[in-house]
Amino acid sequence: MKRISWPTIVVIALLVLFPLVVQSDYYRHIFILSLMWVVIGSAWNLLAGYTGQVSFGHAIFFGTGAYTAGLGVTKLGISAWWGMLLGGPVALLVGLIIGWICFRLRGPYFALATIAIGEIFRLVAIDWRSMTDGMDGILIIQSFRSKLPYYYLALALAIACVFAVYLVLRSKWGYYFVAIREDQDVAETIGISSFRYKSLSLMISSYFTGMAGAFYMNYMAFIDPHVVFSLHDISIMAILVAIIGGVGTLWGPAVGAFIMVWLQEIFRSAFFGLLPQWVSEAHVLVFGLLVIFVIRYLANGIVGDWSKITGDWFKKKQLSYSSSGN
Amino acid sequence: MEQNGVRSSTTITYRTGGANMRKLLVLLTLVLAFAVVFSTTPAWSEETVKVGIILPLTGAQAAFGEIERNSFVMAAEKVNAAGGINGKQLELLFEDDTGKPEVARSAAEKLISKDKVVMLGGGYGSSETFAIAGVAQQNGMPFLVNTGSADKITEQGWDYVFRLNPPVSAYPAALESFLTEVVKPESCAILYEDSAFGTSGSKNFAETAERLGIKVVMMEGYSKGGVDFKPLLVKVKQANPDLVYMISYVMDASLLMTQSMELRVMPKLFVGGAAGFTLPEFVKNAGNAANMVYSATLWYETLPYPGASEYYEEYVKRFNKPTEYHGAEAYAACQVIADTLKRAKSFSAEDVKTALAETDMETVFGPVKFVSYDKKINQNKLPTYLVQWIDGKLELVWPKDVASKPYVYPIDWEKVWQ
Repeated sequence: MKRISWPTIVVIALLVLFPLVVQSDYYRHIFILSLMWVVIGSAWNLLAGYTGQVSFGHAIFFGTGAYTAGLGVTKLGISAWWGMLLGGPVALLVGLIIGWICFRLRGPYFALATIAIGEIFRLVAIDWRSMTDGMDGILIIQSFRSKLPYYYLALALAIACVFAVYLVLRSKWGYYFVAIREDQDVAETIGISSFRYKSLSLMISSYFTGMAGAFYMNYMAFIDPHVVFSLHDISIMAILVAIIGGVGTLWGPAVGAFIMVWLQEIFRSAFFGLLPQWVSEAHVLVFGLLVIFVIRYLANGIVGDWSKITGDWFKKKQLSYSSSGN
Repeated sequence: MEQNGVRSSTTITYRTGGANMRKLLVLLTLVLAFAVVFSTTPAWSEETVKVGIILPLTGAQAAFGEIERNSFVMAAEKVNAAGGINGKQLELLFEDDTGKPEVARSAAEKLISKDKVVMLGGGYGSSETFAIAGVAQQNGMPFLVNTGSADKITEQGWDYVFRLNPPVSAYPAALESFLTEVVKPESCAILYEDSAFGTSGSKNFAETAERLGIKVVMMEGYSKGGVDFKPLLVKVKQANPDLVYMISYVMDASLLMTQSMELRVMPKLFVGGAAGFTLPEFVKNAGNAANMVYSATLWYETLPYPGASEYYEEYVKRFNKPTEYHGAEAYAACQVIADTLKRAKSFSAEDVKTALAETDMETVFGPVKFVSYDKKINQNKLPTYLVQWIDGKLELVWPKDVASKPYVYPIDWEKVWQ
């Protein structure tokens, strides 16, 4: 392994120290959510940003992970923490099956299938009441009152996920993924099995998303199908996190996750009560404007277009719309 | 100028090292620094008694959140005009849960650890109410639920969670006697939004129907945000039940009725399971299709509760539209909160909880006293009512002795809908 650059160490150190400095459970909670979204966003990014397979259904894996943990409690009587162990593999298995079916096709089929499968999972979870308790949801009691264990677990997950993506990208797999994204035909011609590597990418992605889901069950202590299989609150949010931060960049989803979660909270609470209440009612609008702004002016996200932001932003509108993968 | 242009060429490649990444990490650090700065903003002065109220102020349920917030504000102003809480002003801090449980949790965490409120109120959606209740129980923070009605909320043995409103299973109680005494239907169809509230309510109504000997010919849920209910209503039409019972929110309630009118689905009666069917927005959106529709409700302005009609009139005057049971729940919740805080020995969580448990008072929403029954604890018990939309106005029609207008039945839909 090459040396880790100093900013990485600084950021990790800051994140490790954060909950020790800031005693407020509220800010710790927002950080925990941000870190969870780092995991989901990075996982989505590996599949969509690097392998070019856009998923509109990451809630499938998130929900599967969450329900694995939850059903362990209600059906098997084991601790929800087993979900942290099992949630990832079960989600991976689901990903494997979806990939096995969808990755034989090319074009928009995978994206379309993920929307459909996401809805199927949600409806099954709602209607299979004997198994999932439907919309009554699954309620457990949190194991810890303190936020610290959850915080460090979320941090560990986030670091593990970003690091895993980093390792994959440095390996042969990473190059194969990008080759498939750039041109599937060329990739096939030089002997890369697009089916196999697309599936591998999906498996890694679904594994981490499932872990995040299991974490959510443990931390939030209540799930129902609308929450964890939500198309817009999970699947679309995963995409937004990556788009805002930068699709196809290692740090993009991490930055995007913090920006999205914090922005939502800052606006929702009307800048922590400093501004009048009506500001909070516009938070959805602000989200929309941000997305439009980023797509229009920073097509590669905040991280992807960082040089644009710092460089010639005000000096010169450089039209550099390079063909950018997605 | 020229040399700057070079840097902006951006093809997506690996950005895993070098100067570029360093800049990104600086950005990330800045974001963190920003967060830390915000986390150390000083608290407000201690002149007021702060109570946190969590409601859906944006999103699909915002109409309910608005009517409840308005009512909370009205009630709090009244409390403060009458001397506040033993001399201190009552300050309500509203938080938006946006209809998402994790946001509801954020809001509860914020109110407890940052704003240092003495107790929590609000709770509209059942999932959000669960999330708030969990935080409240864990932090030992008294929480008075005023709308979230899934039965399970007060069945967890959580001693810090109190509920002012009846659980959803109690909603159709008045409807039951109306059906046995007046309509005597033989079959019914149940349509519901597949939320916790809808599922729980539909299951319960199905059991009620079975007990009354009414055959459930159809029971189907639909998802939030649906706009085309015609496939569902065609099935209803084919099943041809005497009664259609619907558990819906704002838009779906209106659409179900307008589309029933278009398809000429004509059961003997349509009954809504409260929620969306009593809101003024329902008649505004559905227009003529809302006419003669029945709904279960928990409150009506002509009920002989102290202050009920005054509250209604004041609300109409101030906000220029009618209020209904959600508003009354919120107003009453504020009355209970003020009463509790006045009686509490101190504002410590333990004392507030004790005072809340000892509540025994009259509110605009009816008498409030927290009891334990079945599996429930800290649950207020109240009768429910049946209302009907008669020519654009919501009228209380059952039970007969409190009715504001006689019920219209049987209904000639062709004439109503012409």
